[in-house]
Amino acid sequence: MFDFIYKGIIRDKKRSLLPIIVVTIGVFVVVFSDGIIGGMINNMISMTANFQTGHVKVMTRAYAKQENEKPIDLSILNAGELINQLKKDYPIVDWTPRIMFGGLLDIPDQKGETKAQGPVSGISVDFLTTGSNELKRLGIKKAIIDGTPINRPGQILVSVDFAEKYNVKPGDIVTFFGSTMYGSMTFSNFTIAGIVRFGNSMLDRGAIMIDISDARLLLDMDNAAAEIVGFLPEGKYNNEKAEEIKKSFNDKWTNNKDEYAPIMTQLMDQEMMSATLGYAKRMSLIMIVLLIIALAIVLWNAGILGGIRRYNEFGIRLAMGEEKKHIFNSLMIESLIIGIIGSILGTTLGFMACLILSRHGIDYSAVMRNVSLMMDPVIRTTITPRMLYSGTIPGIISILVGTALAGQAIYKRNTAMLFKELD
Amino acid sequence: MDGLKVNITNNAMLIQTAFKNIIRGGKRTWLNVVVLSFVLVIMVAYNGLLDGWMEESRRDTIDWESGWSQLWHPKYDKYDIFTLQDAHGIIPKDIKRLIDNGVATPILVIQASIYPHGRMQNIVLKGINTEQNILKIPSEKIKTEDEDIPAIIGTRMAKSTDLKQGDRIMIRWRDKNGVFDSRQLLITHIFETKIGSVDSDQIWININDLYQMTGMGNEATYIVLNKEAKIKSDLSGWKYKSDYFLLSDVRAMEKAERVESIIIFIILLSLALLAVYDTQTLSIFRRQKEIGTYVALGMTPKKVTSLFTLEGTTYSVLAVLFAAIWGTPLLYLFAKTGLPMPEAYTNIGLPLGEAIYPVYKITSLIKTIILLIILSAIISYIPAQKIAKQNIVYALKGKIN
Amino acid sequence: MQLMNDEPMKKQIIKIIICNMALMVSIPLIAQDGNKMLQDIDDNLSANSRIIESTMIIHGKRNDRTITSKSYTMGTDKSLTEYMSPPREKGTKMLKLSNEMWVYSPTTDRTIMISGHMLRQSVMGSDLSYEDMMDDRKLTVIYNANIEGTENYNGKDCKVLILISKVKDAAYQKQKMWVDTNYLIPLKIELYAKSGQLLKMITMSDIKQTEGRWFPMKMTYKDMLAEGDGTEWVINSITFNKQIPDYIFSKASLKK
Repeated sequence: MFDFIYKGIIRDKKRSLLPIIVVTIGVFVVVFSDGIIGGMINNMISMTANFQTGHVKVMTRAYAKQENEKPIDLSILNAGELINQLKKDYPIVDWTPRIMFGGLLDIPDQKGETKAQGPVSGISVDFLTTGSNELKRLGIKKAIIDGTPINRPGQILVSVDFAEKYNVKPGDIVTFFGSTMYGSMTFSNFTIAGIVRFGNSMLDRGAIMIDISDARLLLDMDNAAAEIVGFLPEGKYNNEKAEEIKKSFNDKWTNNKDEYAPIMTQLMDQEMMSATLGYAKRMSLIMIVLLIIALAIVLWNAGILGGIRRYNEFGIRLAMGEEKKHIFNSLMIESLIIGIIGSILGTTLGFMACLILSRHGIDYSAVMRNVSLMMDPVIRTTITPRMLYSGTIPGIISILVGTALAGQAIYKRNTAMLFKELD
Repeated sequence: MDGLKVNITNNAMLIQTAFKNIIRGGKRTWLNVVVLSFVLVIMVAYNGLLDGWMEESRRDTIDWESGWSQLWHPKYDKYDIFTLQDAHGIIPKDIKRLIDNGVATPILVIQASIYPHGRMQNIVLKGINTEQNILKIPSEKIKTEDEDIPAIIGTRMAKSTDLKQGDRIMIRWRDKNGVFDSRQLLITHIFETKIGSVDSDQIWININDLYQMTGMGNEATYIVLNKEAKIKSDLSGWKYKSDYFLLSDVRAMEKAERVESIIIFIILLSLALLAVYDTQTLSIFRRQKEIGTYVALGMTPKKVTSLFTLEGTTYSVLAVLFAAIWGTPLLYLFAKTGLPMPEAYTNIGLPLGEAIYPVYKITSLIKTIILLIILSAIISYIPAQKIAKQNIVYALKGKIN
Repeated sequence: MQLMNDEPMKKQIIKIIICNMALMVSIPLIAQDGNKMLQDIDDNLSANSRIIESTMIIHGKRNDRTITSKSYTMGTDKSLTEYMSPPREKGTKMLKLSNEMWVYSPTTDRTIMISGHMLRQSVMGSDLSYEDMMDDRKLTVIYNANIEGTENYNGKDCKVLILISKVKDAAYQKQKMWVDTNYLIPLKIELYAKSGQLLKMITMSDIKQTEGRWFPMKMTYKDMLAEGDGTEWVINSITFNKQIPDYIFSKASLKK
């Protein structure tokens, strides 16, 4: 019987094509939106992680207490040794030092005297060490609207609004003027490498970026780091893993009472982050459930329509003496096969679309000019094992339910009336 | 055959026929209507949520920070703290008149230092009239209790400095001549606001106390105006800042949120429209004889196409009606309860409350409905346009491909 | 006379009465003595010109730093400081002309104006702000002094001098000085806010005779509101009233 049904499906394209297309599209939409929503959540996590918290972060206890103030005088002094130790203890984590600092950017006139100066907040990360992932992680290339990223010492990236206000452009030399971690005056000339749009109005007004080696020279922080951020493999955050690393690290230091002893925090320690994430996950679940309900209704509809369409065929089959139950069963098996084919196609397509988008992403930065939220204006998708069944199960179940409902009509047919109907 | 009508010639008849055909369509009609109404209600709820959030953000920014518009001292730049030292001056007469009329209130801003945890921290001290009611800053809570200067701070500031209500904090500033002064402030109230820019790194005190502390009597850094002030341009040399300027951050945020909503709408709509398309295709297939009959009876194939397109569109019209029946009470309830938000949101400067209450805007509602109807018309037209290309004889025989 | 404006009313009244009674008896004599003493202190501490080589020891929370510098001062309006060590600071120059200030840094070869806001920052992480350094006017120009009494400080008999500003723009409205009567040099100075809050404390020691006058060769500054051990300032050599060529105090000379 299976063979007969299979041939029916393959040969009678009209009978099978549309339901398969409907199931495929429906399953595709569910899988794809699952990926997109996951991508949005991941986007949020990675923005926060990449710019602020890392997946895990090491600071001195004193620094951690006043983290909001970014007090560089409370930085980790022996950062190199600590990073080496961290790399040894937790080799899977990508550890990298960072320093946030404040000061003035002074723009010289032709005589080298102050023409204008404005307050800036500095971000320094490891741009130049070979193997450093910071450039990619912070998405600098995409954020640069003029010039290039930092590719040698002595270069600086200036935020877009600042550059506009003070009329500076790539190639110009500016002087940073601020205080070292010990409070001494410090100066350094930088060549503007590029102008950056961070997509956050606060940063766009007055942020600069330099390489950490320059920052260490500038701030008298040789071998020091304000923060050491760590990222789990492939930039994928994992709460359990991060928590485990954090706990194991902090346990080693519990007996040390020094206020400059290191302490590790992880992404979810940010009250707001864990709350948001829990919330986003709940919302995404609701979204997926809604989509599945909508999909079920559509497929149910398709099943009914399929049944109606083949009214005549069933009439003939009944007239030829086929049992109603047999027709119904064959119809169900047919739907099952259609459901499976459609689900496989839909899941595959959805999976592929997610794969492409996870690699390339849809860049909607053009519509996002001057947006004040710290977010990456690129839609990317995630790929999770859930996708294997999130579309398939509702796809198959709903077409079966749809067919079953439609198939009931078979039992209502009056044999005596068959030939009249077929007229 | 259902819905067959002789003399279908005018458009009114066409619509009537389409409607009747649909109503008699039974289950499949209702399934489509249910799906479409479902999508419509979700879209309205989502848009309402966004509109509600944006309206609240806008309202909160106006209420707490920007007022209806502002007049800035010529040297003041909100984003450049360096300007503060010089950005204050005697309030000109014209502006004083607005203040006296209760449509404006002056804010004086100076820099000061506090020493939480024994470390110097630079903050701004903002003087506000305790009787003002233009901003929601609870200035009436700045109450003198003893010799210490009463002050209020926001929850973010309280958290970063470890200050509680009733605590005292030493503050150091310089008066207009540069003379150091230092006093204890008494925190008389800690207020909660969604607007971080009136909270972080700042302390609010009575403007008269600040006048006395600095010798800058009758001066201001900027003036907050309410709606009745009706000022639209610079006044006595003070720079006019419109609500458009002051709310630019809220607008930018809205834009970002809209992009996300569009993605979600596309997903939802594509599912619903898939259902319509699917129904249309099969219904055309099933009703070949009917189509042939229509043509035989004198309808042009174009008219038949219109009829089927109209039928498809009718789904969305019915969906709108159906959504109105089940959606209205639900959306009403939603507007009452709101969408609760995680508490921690308020701490990061996002102007979010404990809950977002949706606001349903007529324009946005109409837009959504029109969008749904137009899209379902288009999606119904695609399979229906094939009819016009068919051979009538085949159609009559039920042999349309 | 000045009153602390935030004292509670009752206290103020009592104070006024007491002060008035005290003043009635002693005003002519003590005021005279106080201002005379202030004049003597000025004569000791200030000069038409000064060249000082000094060492600043900044006690930070995590380490101590030593910075040496050489400064030229002419009158009260012009001064130039050049940092000699550590290597980081070497060659950095600060030029002050009346109320403007520039910094030259050799590493950048730039002359940068220090704006109003920056003047309030601490100098090299010390307990002194740029402004503390810039207000170089003679004490007698800014303050009226009264001798409040005699106290033993560090084993020495000192007159306690209360300085109340007579100009509007004195950074500290009130100072309290413990003046060594032998040398006519303050051994301890307390700087007060208008409200009477103690803001900074300076102690002076190691008083030596140079060029016929007594001068404290070591001073310690402490910001009383912040935590920390303050900043020590040790004078290695000092020359008074030597003619300093005017070009020294020009922006052009910064680059030399």
